[in-house]
Amino acid sequence: MGCETLEFEDLAARALDTSAACGASYSDIRFEIAQAERIEVRNGIVTALADTTSTGYGIRALVDGSWGFSASAELTNAGVDAAAARAVAIARAGAAIARRKFGMAPPLAHAGSYATPMLRDPASVPLGTKVAHLLEAEKLLHVTPEIAVGRAWIDLWCTHKFFFSSTGARIDQKIHQSGSGMEAMAIGAADVQTRTYPGDVGLYQSGGWEIIEEARLAQEAPRIAGEAAALLRAPQCPSGTFDIVLGGSQVSLQIHESCGHPAELDRVMGWEANFSGTSFLEIASLGKLKYGSDLVTIVVDNTLDRGMATCAFDDEGTKSSASDIVRNGLLTGYEMSNDTARLLGRESNACVRAQGWDFAPMIRMCNLSLSPGNVPFEHLFDDVRDGVYMESNRSWSIDDHRLNFQFGCEVGWEVKNGKRGRMLKNPTYAGVTPAFWNSCDAIGDERSWFAWGTPNCGKGEPIQTGRTTQAAAPARFRGVTVGVGYDG
Amino acid sequence: MAERSGAALREALAAKTLGFSSADQTEVVVAGSDTALTRFTHEACNQNVAANDLLVSVRTVIDGRTGVASTNQLDDRSLRDVVERSIALARVATSDPLVPKMASDAAPAAPAHAFDAATAGADAGRRGEMAGAIFREAEAAGYWSAGFVATSHKGITVTNSSGALASFDGTDAGVNVKMTAPDSSGFAEAYASGVGELDAASLGRAAVAKARTSAAPSDIDTGAWTVILEPPAFGELLAYLSDHFSALNFEEGSSFCSGGLDRTYFSDRVTIRDDYTHPLAPGMPFDFEGQPKQRVALVESGVVRNVVTDSYYAKKLGRANTGHALPAPNSEGPQPQNLVVDAGQKPVDQLIAETKRGLLVTRLWYTRTVDRKRAIVTGMTRDGTLLIEDGKIVRGVHNLRFNQSILEVLRRCEFSSELRRTASYSYALVCPYAKVEGFNFSSTTAF
Repeated sequence: MGCETLEFEDLAARALDTSAACGASYSDIRFEIAQAERIEVRNGIVTALADTTSTGYGIRALVDGSWGFSASAELTNAGVDAAAARAVAIARAGAAIARRKFGMAPPLAHAGSYATPMLRDPASVPLGTKVAHLLEAEKLLHVTPEIAVGRAWIDLWCTHKFFFSSTGARIDQKIHQSGSGMEAMAIGAADVQTRTYPGDVGLYQSGGWEIIEEARLAQEAPRIAGEAAALLRAPQCPSGTFDIVLGGSQVSLQIHESCGHPAELDRVMGWEANFSGTSFLEIASLGKLKYGSDLVTIVVDNTLDRGMATCAFDDEGTKSSASDIVRNGLLTGYEMSNDTARLLGRESNACVRAQGWDFAPMIRMCNLSLSPGNVPFEHLFDDVRDGVYMESNRSWSIDDHRLNFQFGCEVGWEVKNGKRGRMLKNPTYAGVTPAFWNSCDAIGDERSWFAWGTPNCGKGEPIQTGRTTQAAAPARFRGVTVGVGYDG
Repeated sequence: MAERSGAALREALAAKTLGFSSADQTEVVVAGSDTALTRFTHEACNQNVAANDLLVSVRTVIDGRTGVASTNQLDDRSLRDVVERSIALARVATSDPLVPKMASDAAPAAPAHAFDAATAGADAGRRGEMAGAIFREAEAAGYWSAGFVATSHKGITVTNSSGALASFDGTDAGVNVKMTAPDSSGFAEAYASGVGELDAASLGRAAVAKARTSAAPSDIDTGAWTVILEPPAFGELLAYLSDHFSALNFEEGSSFCSGGLDRTYFSDRVTIRDDYTHPLAPGMPFDFEGQPKQRVALVESGVVRNVVTDSYYAKKLGRANTGHALPAPNSEGPQPQNLVVDAGQKPVDQLIAETKRGLLVTRLWYTRTVDRKRAIVTGMTRDGTLLIEDGKIVRGVHNLRFNQSILEVLRRCEFSSELRRTASYSYALVCPYAKVEGFNFSSTTAF
């Protein structure tokens, strides 16, 4: 541990002592040094070249079953005293009106450290190299005059977290997350079509500069741009009931919206009701609800290699683990925090994250995977007589119980008698969550299974951005409503 | 927060930081915030939070090359470092001949009532009292509540090497409440600069009433409906049209009005402005380049007149700078930030009374763009969707999914005489209730 740890340790001790003196039965403090680098290129010009550093701490205090949270960037004794006192006052104000007690102190206090494995630290890559990498890729998007806008970007995040609790937790973690992507926008007389690569937001994983290189932006740019231009001339995706095959990044989004979010236990319990919504799942659904077909197994694994949410401990100090959410189609678990898990008589599976030092930790999706199947990607089309293959999400909408959904993709292809045919534009599909997952009858094998990162998941009030991973392979679904939104 | 980030301190920090720069041009933005939110569910607080911060952002321009760096550590070493980082970034950027000289126009005064001292000083006890009032309404009805009470104080100072200096302090308060009954729910919200303007108990009662009225919801046919969109619902649609009025989207061709301004695109009932002085939503009188924010007529009686610009797009398009720059680095271009839709002639009760058959829609959810150019969006209704027959609200219905062009909404609409402020995490605006013909619902859900 470096010099920051020693400084933070003294401040932590001070904060926790002050919190106890003010009346908290438990408290914890999380310091973070967050560095973010963003580079963006648009039509040959660097439109963003930014470097942000933010350092601060957030204190949680528990009083009579109510939490209070207070965050500050003042790294002084006076600063932590004020923040600790404020956290306790907030907890006390909540306790004064509460008809129920939600808060419980974490049962275990861990000590440990972790650092994201990397092949190459992005900090060692010269800035000029990073900029040149994007300029080269973006230039290759301009394959035809129809490409009005080319964009390429890199995000590099390094967050050093230090967690201390009044029960003796002492955790030091340095998390590296990296991502890049590009977009070609083709503009016609009355139409705008885009293609994004990789996936629909880019390639985001935990790791270093190797993540940026593996995205192969320059190599794929001409193909992606060509597809954007071709979409201007492609026929509209038809409307009707079809079998569909979804590309891996789209299955990732499907998991995110229709599995990950409904399985957040705080959502099930109504803690997100006024904003992100609740869930069609109930506590009693565990072990009973047939969530999907027998092929569908969904796991939360916060030790997943390259997972955006991978770490050794979550943001309330619980050790990372792997556990089932759905096993062979049956609902078997939830994403939990210490508070919610113990209301269920279970132990937390470490699904608590905070966007930064200035946000209170809450249940987030973390790393969620659809276990791979045994069908090589090219054979997913074999048994499709009349269907559509779709790639790269463009729009995503689901009701506030996570049942009725409608998703749209950037590009589709007709599938006739097992063969991919002509390109289709504006493909959309809709369904109801459990019926949709029960229609899954083939999942791609490990060769097409990939850890897709979502860098921009929104939840909570104040809203927090979470960085999650949903690992998935392409998959096939039968009898799906296709073409909604364009059938009028 | 006042001591740590009042205007005097922010201006001193900004001036000191500016003094550390040797770049051709330098802009410093110092942004302070003290925000608090009491979130509740089932009549207990599940998140009760407060945070304060002060961020110093530096944009440097060297021979048309731009770099941006920021820090929240305020010692001299950190301030020198953030300037040096910004300059190092600028040296590696590409040179853009369109990057203009930083301007130094004076900012107008802040609109009246933008700052309320009681809100800036509101503590958890005050928010707790308001939440407690909502709990009592829930208990009286036998329902459960979820929502929040929020208060905030934000202060901004912008200065640059051309001599601009502008400071603003503003406050905001909000109450958002959903009441859940056995088979229905209702929603109410209110926002203001002053926490004293918000009646939490009244909002709780309004959400209870909506939940009660929509109890025992029935199935309903999909298809084209006459709808009356309450401000939270109508505001959500407007938010998805907002960036079409950005000079960036206009110029690149992705806006619905890229074909030209001063053309009729909507009903003559539609007038939309960007106006930071509106008494329901007073805002910052300058942008993040420190330039005066203009009150812009975006749509006048159905004719699209203007898009908003910042200094870059003003120069690029040969238009006036309307003062709508966002914080650097900004790849989204200038954006409207204070949308106001002018009211109509009739109160909403009259719009309802004149509806033979329709749906009253309280709120929309998970709205997303399906087709950019045609501004087709999809989403769901939620928290109070009610059938109107022969001018009366008769019962609740199950929620529906819509697929609808916002452009068509603004061609077939009539507005109420009431205006409300509505907001979400990404927007705040002022709008009336909107009666819309031929609003397309494509499916329903089970609740």
